[in-house]
Amino acid sequence: MLVITRKQEQSIIIGGEVEVIVLGISKEGVRLGIKAPRSVQVHRREVFEAIAAENLAAIEAKSSVLNAAALLRAAQVKKPEDR
Amino acid sequence: MTSSPDPASDDGILLSFPKGLLGFPQLTAFRLFEPPDGYPLKFLQSVAAPDTTFTCIDPAAVKHDYEVPLGTEEAEALALESLRDAMVLTLVVIPEDPRRMTTNLAGPLVINTRTLTGYQIALNADKFPLRFPILARD
Repeated sequence: MLVITRKQEQSIIIGGEVEVIVLGISKEGVRLGIKAPRSVQVHRREVFEAIAAENLAAIEAKSSVLNAAALLRAAQVKKPEDR
Repeated sequence: MTSSPDPASDDGILLSFPKGLLGFPQLTAFRLFEPPDGYPLKFLQSVAAPDTTFTCIDPAAVKHDYEVPLGTEEAEALALESLRDAMVLTLVVIPEDPRRMTTNLAGPLVINTRTLTGYQIALNADKFPLRFPILARD
């Protein structure tokens, strides 16, 4: 892992198109600004991991999908039709 | 009786997710279809790896007021001219007890129905639950 020391307002450039700027440093944490092209998705690691974990869990559970679908259809009959 | 769509429905539609799904960046081509007797659930099946099939649902059927806050950046990435061109799906997790199934409102799939291109968007999990119960608890 590359380790670089940066001070407030200093930045690093990654791949020529992503810039990470240190906006502020305090006891609460480090505030970073990120300039990246729209094609680059930027996520907090824990958010990324939580969604990736749910994605993995959403891979078809073959045995139960039809059962679950039937439960949903039964429940929806009771629901008022509001949009 | 609910009016279920034609069970002998077509082969679904082919969708492109240029960035894949979070954690699955390599899977970019999917087929979206409704399995027989699967309504209201849908399958999003990887074309390259058909064993990787995500269960999903139209979140409007689950939470009527669910709205994906589409920043202009995301709308632009999707080349969405109008939100009317957008289809939103959320992934469904079915545990052993299917009554406790949940859907992930923090990571919706937003699909441009004109270009058939989609992205998974990461929302603030404090406001949008990762595990929203689909069946209301009595």
